[in-house]
Amino acid sequence: MACTMFAAIDVGSYEVNLKIYELSARKGIHVVNHVRHRMELGKDTYATGRIGTPLVDELCEVFLDFRRIMKEFGVEDYRACATSAVRESSNQVMLLDRIFLKTGIRLEVLSNSEQRFLGYKSIASSSERFQEIIEKGTAIVDVGGGSIQLSLYDKDNLVTTQNIRLGTLRLRERLADVAERTVRYAAVIEELLNNEMRTYRKLYLKDRNIRYMLLVGNYIQYINQYIHKDREINQITKDEFITFYDEFIQSGQPAMAEKLGISNENSTLLLPTLVIYKRLLEETGAENVVILGMDLGDGLAFDYAERRKILKPGHNFENDILEAARNIAKRYHTNRNHTQVMERLALTIYDKIKAVHGLGKRERLLLQISVLLHDCGKYINMSQPSQCSYNIIMATEVIGLSHMEREIVANIVRFNSGSILPFEELAAASLLERSEYITIIKLTAILRLANAMDRSHKQKIKDIKVNIKDNHTMQILVDTTEDLTLEQALFPEKAELFEEVYSLRPVLKAKRLG
Amino acid sequence: MKKEYMKSEYYENRELSWLGFNERILGEARDKKNPLFERLKFLSITASNLDEFFMVRVASLKDMVNAEYSKKDYSGMTPQQQLNAIHDRVHDFVSSQYSTWQRSLLPGLRQCGLQVIEEHEELNPEQAKYVDQYFVENVYPVLTPMAVDSSRPFPLIVNKTLNLGALLKKKNEADAELEFATVQVPAVLPRIILIPPAQKDGTSVILLEDMIARNMSQLFLSYDVLCVHPYRIMRNADLTIDEDEASDLLKEIQKQLKKRQWGEVIRLEVDEKIDKRLLKILKREFEIKEDAIYRTSGPLDLTFLMKMYGLDGFEDYKEPRYTPQPVPELTGKRDIFEEIRARDILLHHPYQTFDPVVDFVRKAAKDPQVLAIKQTLYRVSGNSPIIAALAQAAENGKQVSVLVELKARFDEEHNIVWAKMLERAGCHVIYGLVGLKTHSKITLVVRREEDGIRRYVHLGTGNYNDSTAKLYTDMGLLTCSEPIGEDATAVFNMLSGYSEPANWNKLSLAPLWLRERFLAMIRREMEYAKNGEPAHIIAKMNSLCDPEMIAALYEASAAGVKIELIIRGICSLRVGIPGISENISVRSIVGTFLEHSRIYYFLNGGQEEVYLASADWMPRNLDRRVEILFPIENELLKKEVLHVLEIQLQDTIKAQIKQPDGTYEKVDRRGKAALCAQIYFMEYAKGLNRPQEDVMHDRVFIPAEPMEDPDDEE
Repeated sequence: MACTMFAAIDVGSYEVNLKIYELSARKGIHVVNHVRHRMELGKDTYATGRIGTPLVDELCEVFLDFRRIMKEFGVEDYRACATSAVRESSNQVMLLDRIFLKTGIRLEVLSNSEQRFLGYKSIASSSERFQEIIEKGTAIVDVGGGSIQLSLYDKDNLVTTQNIRLGTLRLRERLADVAERTVRYAAVIEELLNNEMRTYRKLYLKDRNIRYMLLVGNYIQYINQYIHKDREINQITKDEFITFYDEFIQSGQPAMAEKLGISNENSTLLLPTLVIYKRLLEETGAENVVILGMDLGDGLAFDYAERRKILKPGHNFENDILEAARNIAKRYHTNRNHTQVMERLALTIYDKIKAVHGLGKRERLLLQISVLLHDCGKYINMSQPSQCSYNIIMATEVIGLSHMEREIVANIVRFNSGSILPFEELAAASLLERSEYITIIKLTAILRLANAMDRSHKQKIKDIKVNIKDNHTMQILVDTTEDLTLEQALFPEKAELFEEVYSLRPVLKAKRLG
Repeated sequence: MKKEYMKSEYYENRELSWLGFNERILGEARDKKNPLFERLKFLSITASNLDEFFMVRVASLKDMVNAEYSKKDYSGMTPQQQLNAIHDRVHDFVSSQYSTWQRSLLPGLRQCGLQVIEEHEELNPEQAKYVDQYFVENVYPVLTPMAVDSSRPFPLIVNKTLNLGALLKKKNEADAELEFATVQVPAVLPRIILIPPAQKDGTSVILLEDMIARNMSQLFLSYDVLCVHPYRIMRNADLTIDEDEASDLLKEIQKQLKKRQWGEVIRLEVDEKIDKRLLKILKREFEIKEDAIYRTSGPLDLTFLMKMYGLDGFEDYKEPRYTPQPVPELTGKRDIFEEIRARDILLHHPYQTFDPVVDFVRKAAKDPQVLAIKQTLYRVSGNSPIIAALAQAAENGKQVSVLVELKARFDEEHNIVWAKMLERAGCHVIYGLVGLKTHSKITLVVRREEDGIRRYVHLGTGNYNDSTAKLYTDMGLLTCSEPIGEDATAVFNMLSGYSEPANWNKLSLAPLWLRERFLAMIRREMEYAKNGEPAHIIAKMNSLCDPEMIAALYEASAAGVKIELIIRGICSLRVGIPGISENISVRSIVGTFLEHSRIYYFLNGGQEEVYLASADWMPRNLDRRVEILFPIENELLKKEVLHVLEIQLQDTIKAQIKQPDGTYEKVDRRGKAALCAQIYFMEYAKGLNRPQEDVMHDRVFIPAEPMEDPDDEE
């Protein structure tokens, strides 16, 4: 059949969603059903650290129903993903098992960076204006129940993305006691937010010129409708928003919820959400709020369609990931010239021996990121760069990478200059499987080679030609006018691993120019 | 809503307005222009209507009085005042029912050769012998006579059953005390029994209770039977479930059903010739006041007349049976789904057959491309082909979800049975929503086709009941429009307890959005009127008693909107109030078929909008039920629906016009062609199937065929 039925289940902090999509090259992504069930999983997690049995049971009930609904549309494949409420729950592992046994649905827990990346995919897939908007200074703000994700785009590129762990539900839960004792509830929320906001501004916002705030979050559609009535505008000016905010504070939540047409059960997060929106507008200095529907489900569907080659991507997301990695590298003052050359060398080798390593496009990206971040640890300690780089990477969110991929990158970087741990030792402290371990070693071998060729950090070697000879030798032909004594002397040591992994002996041959 | 339109004198009490409706039906029973047996049917309907009215409305008022609730309704009456007014009016009504029976129908029946034995003394010897033998063989074995004395308490008399009360005296004891005995007339036996005809070629019948009364002494052998009289009671049957407390709705309803027969007695019907001593006992035992006792001069419980209508022969005294016509767009040559894909299809029942709706579900059950079927069921017929098709679909591996409304009044027991049956077949059964009755009529079929998912939807104004679809006028739409399909999916998500969608494409739902939608459309017409533009609303419904909607209509009328209402039943709106409702006209059509469709038309500055709905403008429809309003957007179909409204507005035979004093009068026919809308539609539906090209071509513009005027002298 010309179209594929795909379902995405999104288990959020205060809502569980099932979206069923019809994916086809002709019609693109088309939602045929959207089922929403309100349940505040985050309330348990953020208050007690774990999700209690009654909510797990309820979730199972809903999942059983979802399975039935998926059948109604002949769904062929699905992904069920949970975000922070489950991610931060201490009983996560048992909970996932119970859900699987009771319902047959495998619930994955997304890392924050994966989740956000899928979010961007959904924005990019749903909006033709996306490309146009991110040309100018734009902050994409995704306000969720658990946290807020702030990403800055400039000139088509992702500049930085940060996660502030103060989402609407978390904010409400943290201030639950205060709420009853104060009449200045809104002001108290602001105060709590201010601290985080100030830090963010100092570290990341600095004097960037942000013109648009692309807002993704609850209620904003209702607010837009309220402000613009029947007109089809999906942009709110700062002044319009502030006027609305003042009206809201004056009339109070119940009256305004009714005016907005939001049902009682859905209005409990209205106030904290509005305070967050207002503070963000003020901090970023954006003049316009652009409203885009983003949701995780759309991102999952888009991602699936892309991987299944049903759809061609419009925006280049790999660039976003690389750009994010470059920004991390920049923060730790890595040698940009060095990494640039290494990137070229490593990728040339990678592409040349495709048939030998048997890895794909995604691994190529991981290699590229590993190059970019390979000596960020020096920023912390010159004598232990490999361990420090590993730690930095493991503590950083690289948008677009799953936690598994992040760990692969961190290990490649660690093994680049340090010794390689045997699989058993590595696996003892991580979730990596044998197959990922093999990927790590394969990529490490290439990274070491590339690194060795620019040992001097002087970019003596700019371009190479790689030839495989008689199945045992990989000849690397170098055009350079410079003296390669250092590189050539240390090359065999770094080439050892490569030979071990690929059964190919790398030979560095300089072809002197002039 | 502005206060000036909410004055109580602008509103008619809903109960009294309803009684007016029942009086209009009685009018049909009295109307000599109707065939004799049709008149029997109308009289029977007035009786069963009245029963339900007592069980539900009077009972509810009684509850209020018992609870000392004395708030006035919108017409300014307290519950007690309403009860008093109801009893006054119903006493007159009942005597009118029985005078119709005695003076008009009974002699008429005799004339056409049907002898109804009123007193068993009328039996000739041959008949008497037959009756007594029939009694011994068929009736006696199922009777349970019960005597009452100090050791045997007064038995439970079951709601709505017919009973015979008797006074007995021990034989051969001159000073023995009088004893009371009662026996239920068995509901399992036919009420009307054919006996040997008194005249050749004639027909004679006797009623079961008369047969038992004649043989009463056989039940109490050692007693002398001093007198025997029939009586019947009505108990409080309004089923109010406290849904906050009931954790399991199903159980609660089953419990309530058992309780129902124990309800307070709110009406006692007796034969007018009843022995005073006997009546005194009944009055005491049922704790009933004089105004709730109804004395009849003829058989109790006139609903048996519906059975009499069904007697063989007498076809000359009935309307010729009408066969619902096929729908021309559904040729049956192609797959029904293909035909729906070709164009939206409008159905007008009972003029057109209900089969396509049953067929739609049946085909879906078998079609290999169908993935899922979802349907709301409110009241279904006894041996419903729809239920069978749904069960079949589940067995064929389709995903079948059915919302079964357990709270459909008086149908609960029935509904539980087949709901369980569907569950066993593998259907996903949803038992309604807490606090809301699901009254909407919607079916969704999800089909996977070459180019993706396609949804087929049926929306209707009437229940999925193939039996009543032959008697109720209703409209339905079969469509595969994508916006409606999306909405239909959202409706079922909501009915399964999930959150409302972010927005609706085409449908509007009660209880959340519908009222506001209607009000907005009325206000929109008002704006046009205020700007000096033409403004027009036509609304056809069963009942209008929502004060807010009425006030909105008054306000619109005052602003100059022309409002034409076609309301079969209750209408609390008053016409002709100076400055308030001068631009409003109300007409009621009571005919062979029960008017049931809900149609709403708004001129909207020339961009006419036409809607069909499952909802009337009653508070219960707009606030406590899930109802659906759906637009008819195809220009051709829109004209078709508008045509239906126009014809009804031109009816001069069955239409009655509401007067400023609240009474209804037949249309003043001077200068107007005689037109009976229901007959017109029967002919029209036949015409659509005539194989003429011009009919298909001009289907909307067929000129009204000159109708024979049944009565020119009037």
